[in-house]
Amino acid sequence: MEELVGLILTAGELLLTCGAEMARVEDTIERMGRAAGFVQVESYATPTGLFVSLHDAQGRVYTRVKRIRGGQSNIALIAEVNALSRAFAAGELTAEQVDRALQGLREQGVPDSPARPLIGGGGSLAFAVMMGGSWLEGLVAGVVGTLVLWVVSRMEGRFPKVIQAGVGSMVAAALVATVGSYLQLNVNVTILGAVMVLAPGLVITTAIRDLLGGELVSGLSRSAEALVIAVAIAAGVAVVLSLGGA
Amino acid sequence: MLVQLVMGFLAALTFGAIFRVPAGQRLRCGMVGGLGWTAFLALEGRLGEVGAVFFAATAVAVSSELLARRQHQPVIVFLTPGIIPLVPGSKAYLTMLSFVQKDYTQGVVLLVTTLFLAGAIAAGIIITSSVFRNLSRTKLSGR
Repeated sequence: MEELVGLILTAGELLLTCGAEMARVEDTIERMGRAAGFVQVESYATPTGLFVSLHDAQGRVYTRVKRIRGGQSNIALIAEVNALSRAFAAGELTAEQVDRALQGLREQGVPDSPARPLIGGGGSLAFAVMMGGSWLEGLVAGVVGTLVLWVVSRMEGRFPKVIQAGVGSMVAAALVATVGSYLQLNVNVTILGAVMVLAPGLVITTAIRDLLGGELVSGLSRSAEALVIAVAIAAGVAVVLSLGGA
Repeated sequence: MLVQLVMGFLAALTFGAIFRVPAGQRLRCGMVGGLGWTAFLALEGRLGEVGAVFFAATAVAVSSELLARRQHQPVIVFLTPGIIPLVPGSKAYLTMLSFVQKDYTQGVVLLVTTLFLAGAIAAGIIITSSVFRNLSRTKLSGR
């Protein structure tokens, strides 16, 4: 039973570090706990900590607490853990197989494509054009967006998300302002496209979904996280622009 | 219009990569995003910005829920990148810029608009997702 408790806890921890909604984490723990033969499963998940109590048929209770730290938005990992837990609940995978898969995911994650910053730059381009920018502005935004994503991916795991957002937006504003002094550009639209890659999209969506599900603690704390990141992005741009006398 | 449709598609597709959506699902994310952005542009003239964003967000949320069930993926796989084209990033940015340039009146106007747009997106997602939650029996039995 001890190994099963560890297994369930690992699944919950992985989901939380990747930014899953609380309802998904608690559903997954419940589903896996029932499949593992526990008669009663209680869990309480927050973005920074996870509590699980599992009651077995002999009346023993296993309770664990897991502190959750940092992590990166990774929807692919959420989808992987989700699929594993469903396969386990359906009896398609044994506990050992799931355990090995989860350990693998924890150590390596889902491998990041080296092209991720480049593809993300396309997002900056699209955004600049959607906001009424010209193709030239889109192109500059795309290149700058790629560089910003590359810089931020170097910082991932070593610095808090707020610092990443602030530094990323300063890089974006500085680069666009420099290019803007040589070329005819709408600096605002270009910077906007470039910093969009930093927007805390997953945090905002999960915050809304958590609040809707009645998960007030995580809903509010995630909203606060999104707000702080947004302010950091704005502050980074503002600092650079005011240095340039804009 | 066609350029804008393609750009909405491209934005959602590439943000799928940024949020690390499974590679096989990114094209579908792009379609959801393109749908939302097209809906917004088509409705903006008639309903105004806030109403158009609400219906566009609802369209994105409905298609995300349907795709998630069909593909056996979590809803956020499609919802998060798909909603990105609608996010009032430019309004938020201009709000900040106005405050930095000490144009506080304009800043407050933009701030309120941004909040209304964000609220419209949230409402679209919340209404759709609670309807789907009540329709799906698996969710209920899991609780």
